[in-house]
Formats: sequence, structure tokens, C-alpha cells
Amino acid sequence: MTTDSVPVGGDPRRLLSDVRALAYRVRLDQRVTWVALLVLAAVTLAAIPIDWVSLDADCGRVFAAGGTECHVRRLGLAFYWPPALLLAYTAIAVYAVRVARVRGLGARVMPYVLTGAALTVLSATAWLLVRVYLDSHPPFTLPYWGLVLDRLIGPAGTIGVALLVLAWLERHPALLVFTLGYLAVVLVPIDFGLHPQWGYLTDFLAPQIVNGAVLLLGAVGFAVARRRHR
Amino acid sequence: MTAEAGTPGPPAPSAHPVTGLDDVVHQRVRLGILTIAHEARRVEFGYLRTQLELTGGNLSKHLSVLEEAGLIAVEKGYEGRRGRTWITLTPAGSRALAEEVGRLKLLIARVETTGAQEDR
Repeated sequence: MTTDSVPVGGDPRRLLSDVRALAYRVRLDQRVTWVALLVLAAVTLAAIPIDWVSLDADCGRVFAAGGTECHVRRLGLAFYWPPALLLAYTAIAVYAVRVARVRGLGARVMPYVLTGAALTVLSATAWLLVRVYLDSHPPFTLPYWGLVLDRLIGPAGTIGVALLVLAWLERHPALLVFTLGYLAVVLVPIDFGLHPQWGYLTDFLAPQIVNGAVLLLGAVGFAVARRRHR
Repeated sequence: MTAEAGTPGPPAPSAHPVTGLDDVVHQRVRLGILTIAHEARRVEFGYLRTQLELTGGNLSKHLSVLEEAGLIAVEKGYEGRRGRTWITLTPAGSRALAEEVGRLKLLIARVETTGAQEDR
């Protein structure tokens, strides 16, 4: 026996291990990962026809002025995405609070929902400011870093940044890895060879299908993992 | 017991970590209650009873000790016809938990250091 005798509460290693195990159990019971991903996948996939219909290309004015780049406006970024994402984050928050309450726990999803909502408003404001600028200036091609920034502050990018917050809140390494992969797909973007030859108005189609599919697969994967864990 | 009594300050650097341990917190079940309440923000009586594998009476006794020490707040209410008891951690409870975990880590480090010295 050493001079450091074991205290009355029990072996400190075991106590610390119990603390960690209990904390992990609570976090598991609070997680709503797959539902959040499913809702965001639904919003992303539902946006495809809306973005397509609401795409506004102003080529005539540009070509008449001797330009070569069309002036394309994705009006869905103003009229569909902000309300849809705000509604999605509200739905996720309501679901998380209700599920946690039924399980006998408090919810820890609110910072995620608030971050998502704030990023949505920021994204819509940025889009509006860029539109106002472009309406009074000739179109130009963005440098690579500009394109990456444009994708990051777009709806798909803000979904990814908000998911990073969720991964931190849920102390969820698997979600962190998934989100980094999703952000890579959004920012690069990877289209897995999908190049529909339906004109430049469909350029957004392949990345958006891929983004929605990645979120959907993530939702299915996390749902299956949760079911197995239980 | 006051909240201050339940959360003694950290031991002096030379003091053995055991001297700073608080009996209110340094008990397996009560440490479990504080841990769950900390992670959950708010936890229901039934969830604690299930996770800690206790009887209702036993859990109530531990909750009373923690409440008297000012480490948790207990809120009773109804959801429909069903009575529910919610437990939240007070700021003193949060501090007490952090200090207890810190002391446990110190204690483990101290035991490992002593063990390594005896092996030589």
C-alpha cells in the first residue's frame, strides 16, 4: 500500500471513468443528428426545381455592351432559401426540445439553431448586396478564392458551418468528420462527373444534387448508427 | 451546509489532493447526479433513476443532500396529469463538479507518480 490510499468515494480512476461514461450517455440521448441532416437534405433537394424556375439570366444586355459573361441571378437565394432554412432550423429546434423533454433531458441544440439562422440572414444580406453592386457594374469573373467565398456564404456553405457548431455541441467526432467532408464537396465543388448538357442555366444542378444526396446519405448513416447503438 | 461549504477552494499546490475532496460531491451517486445535470442542462428525476440504477427513495435522499448544499435546484411540476421533477445544476454545483473532476485527475496523477517512484 502506498501513502496515497484510495479515498472513501471509491477508486478515483473508476469515478472519473463513470463521470465520462455518464456524460457520453447523456450526449447520446440528446443527439438529433440524423433528423437535422434529413431536414436540411429535404430543403436542399426541394430547392432544385425552385432554383431552376426562378433562375434569371440577362445575356442580351451584356452581349449588347460587348461583354461575354451572362448576368445570372438565382432569385431562389432571396425568396426560397432564407425562409426555408429558417423554417428548417425552427423545425429542428422544436423536434430537439420535444425529444429531449420526453427523454427527461434539457436540449443543447439552441446555439446550433441560432447560428444557422444568423448565417442564413447573413447569406441573404450578402446576396442582396452583391446583386445591388452587379446591377450597376458590368459582370466579371470571380477569382478562385472569390468563388470559394461565394460558395461558403451560399446556403449550402452556411449549412456546413452551422453543422460544425452542432458537431461541437454534441461532442460528435463522426459528425465533425462528415461535416468537413460535406464542406469539401460544397467548396471544391465535386460533381462526380455529372455534367448535364442542358445549357448554362443547369450549371448549379449537379452540385446541388450532390449536396442534397450527401446530406441525405449522412442522415441515413447516422440514423442507422443510432439504431445499432441502442 | 452552505454552497461555499460544498465547494471548498482548490488545495494549495503542495497539499495532497485528498485534503480538498468534498464529501458531498465525492460520492459515486452524487457525482453521477451532478455530471448528468451538467451535461443535460436540465434532467428529470426518472432519467436519473434509470441511469444511476437507484430506487426512488435512495435518489431522493441524495438529491436532498445536494439541494441542501446549494449544488442543485429542484423544480416540481406537472405535464398533463403526470407529476415531473426537474433538476438543474446551480453555478455552485458547476464549480463543485469542475473542482472534483480536477482533484480526481490530480489524485490519479499523484498515485501514478508515487507508484513509478516505488517501482524504482
